[in-house]
Amino acid sequence: MRKFWRCHVCNDIHYGIFPPELCPTCKVEFGYIEVSSQEARKIMSISETTMSKEDFVAAIHRFTKMREFNVNPDQERVEMLTGGVFTCEQSQGLKYCPCRMIERDFESDLSLICPCNFLQHDTYKDKPDGECWCGLFVKKETT
Amino acid sequence: MSHYILFHGRECPHCKKMMPLVDKLIAEEGAEIDQREVWHDEKNADLMRSYKDIIKAKCGGQLRVPTFLNAETNEVFCGEVEYEKLIKWIS
Ligand code: SF4
Repeated sequence: MRKFWRCHVCNDIHYGIFPPELCPTCKVEFGYIEVSSQEARKIMSISETTMSKEDFVAAIHRFTKMREFNVNPDQERVEMLTGGVFTCEQSQGLKYCPCRMIERDFESDLSLICPCNFLQHDTYKDKPDGECWCGLFVKKETT
Repeated sequence: MSHYILFHGRECPHCKKMMPLVDKLIAEEGAEIDQREVWHDEKNADLMRSYKDIIKAKCGGQLRVPTFLNAETNEVFCGEVEYEKLIKWIS
């Protein structure tokens, strides 16, 4: 089961099955201690961040930088899809995929938050010109 | 109400591409298609979820849009398809 972990040096919060061995913020080794979800949420409440559609587009571009895929160069498609993602966030509270429907099973629906783990999609895997189901991400050309 | 149901999403590029073909199917073949937009209409989303098992079995284990369903035979397919496949769907 996933739990919350707190870096005892810098109060970084991690949510996962295991704590990170190296704190990505302060670089201390083996510095994470298990904490309650209540403590973790309290600490995280210090930072209230928002994300506009433009921020999201910038974030997905950064996300692709070191990966084997790009954001689709078709800007109209990206505009349409990010519009959909934000519509879903407005109505459902999370940036769900606009090309699939949630099942109302919160845990399994988490796999539909954009970007999803599309590397598993039949439209992407083992295909030289693969893309995520919606075509927001496309495989980089290998020359 | 028609038993040919199309589940689609307003912001889904595959749906956008398929819509002119669906319009053509209606205009040229006189097809009656029950078109259900699912991300802006909770009732339509619930209807789609009520066919969850049938749809998931044919659509990569997911509720993908566009989904073309024959609610009488439970025949289902999803995504961008050729016009000929749509004709077969309604015949
Ligand atoms: S299929 Fe593409 S657009 Fe849909 S959630 Fe996954 S990454 Fe986002």
